[in-house]
Amino acid sequence: MSPALRIARKEAGELVLGLRGQLWLAVTTAVLSGFSLLLVGSKELSLLDNAQVVYDMAGLVTALGALLAVIAGIDAIGGERERGSLLPLLLAPVPRGSILAGKLGGPVAAWGVMLALAAPYFWAVGSTGQNLVSGMVALLALGTPVVLGFGFLGVALGAWMQSGRTALSVALTGLVLSASPLLLGPSLRQSAIGRMFDAVNPFSAALNGFDAVIIDSQGATTQAGHAAVAVAWLALTAWAAAAAMRRVSR
Amino acid sequence: MKARMILATASLAVPLLIGAGRPSYAASTAAPAVQAVVGEAASLTVEFAPVATNPAAPRMGDRLAFTSSIRNTGATPVEGLIAWLSLVQVDRGHEQPVDLEDWSAHKAIAVASLAPGAAVTTNWPMRLIQSGQYRVVVSAVSRAGAALTPSTFVDFTVAPKPVVESGRVLPVALGVPALLVGGLLLRRRRV
Repeated sequence: MSPALRIARKEAGELVLGLRGQLWLAVTTAVLSGFSLLLVGSKELSLLDNAQVVYDMAGLVTALGALLAVIAGIDAIGGERERGSLLPLLLAPVPRGSILAGKLGGPVAAWGVMLALAAPYFWAVGSTGQNLVSGMVALLALGTPVVLGFGFLGVALGAWMQSGRTALSVALTGLVLSASPLLLGPSLRQSAIGRMFDAVNPFSAALNGFDAVIIDSQGATTQAGHAAVAVAWLALTAWAAAAAMRRVSR
Repeated sequence: MKARMILATASLAVPLLIGAGRPSYAASTAAPAVQAVVGEAASLTVEFAPVATNPAAPRMGDRLAFTSSIRNTGATPVEGLIAWLSLVQVDRGHEQPVDLEDWSAHKAIAVASLAPGAAVTTNWPMRLIQSGQYRVVVSAVSRAGAALTPSTFVDFTVAPKPVVESGRVLPVALGVPALLVGGLLLRRRRV
């Protein structure tokens, strides 16, 4: 087994099967349950109300996944440093790239489990509505690069900053800013600044893609522009994480 | 004849239609703020009908289509022709114009010039978003026409469809967190 895979297995096991990961997944399902239960009892839902909830769920799952990924990313380096185990890891005969790839195993596994846990919720609220399958494809295609990008960002911040708390506060500020379109409707983002922000913000790209596919019934394959922004974000953060890993010494 | 489809909303037309049958008191008691247009008499006829392939008992989520044929019955060309689709809900207590935003992307057409005797035929697709009783109509105006020319109404009823089934939501919403928490407690007890 390659060193990267070995590290990835350890990270994934600790994150998904550990107490912290289990609590996180329980919180995720509690939030999704709350959303689902809001729909029960309403007798005057249109098709679009149903689609709106599926869209909201897709955004929420992406936000929760990004939050978990960025925290796990920071902990992957910053946490090791605070526990005193970073130096032995760096001294091990393993390329830095393999360490980085392995450290991303935690967020990847957690995101996979989150998607699997979200699937029954999507089925429960969306199977009688519209665009359920294409919406889940959009979540997979657009949400994954956004979430993993935040994982890489966490690794980069954890490596750059000596204090894990500082890295966490910077990361959370960035995540809240990026995920602000979840709270701001499209009409509030129509100004020139809002449109510029939307054009470069990976979270906006994912949400706009979900909107187009789930609510506006556009094909998932027509979202190349949104996917390009999300993939560019993934590539940029991967580059930043790799650069930070090369420079980290203790 | 080829018509240019207009994607912009035509909801402004609905109040005109609703108010068409009501007497206008303002016109007789006060000087009009805007001079009424005195133009050529309307020389248009608008035929409007559902297509034969529409489902007999449509439900939410189904798609309907309608065709319109707008003909110039006059002796001179009709310039600047605009035709648009309007939808109203007529359920008792829910009477309202419906914003076509989510129902159809084809809300209006524009024709630069319609020659005498010529007709423009348009297909109007529609996706049924909400249950209820509806009336749909196509209206046409020209640049110089004194009044709009509506088609006759086409009525249809959209049967409800269960959008969310409690029988599916409740087991998932309550069961998945319970399973996770139960598994967590079981693991802690074993440890």
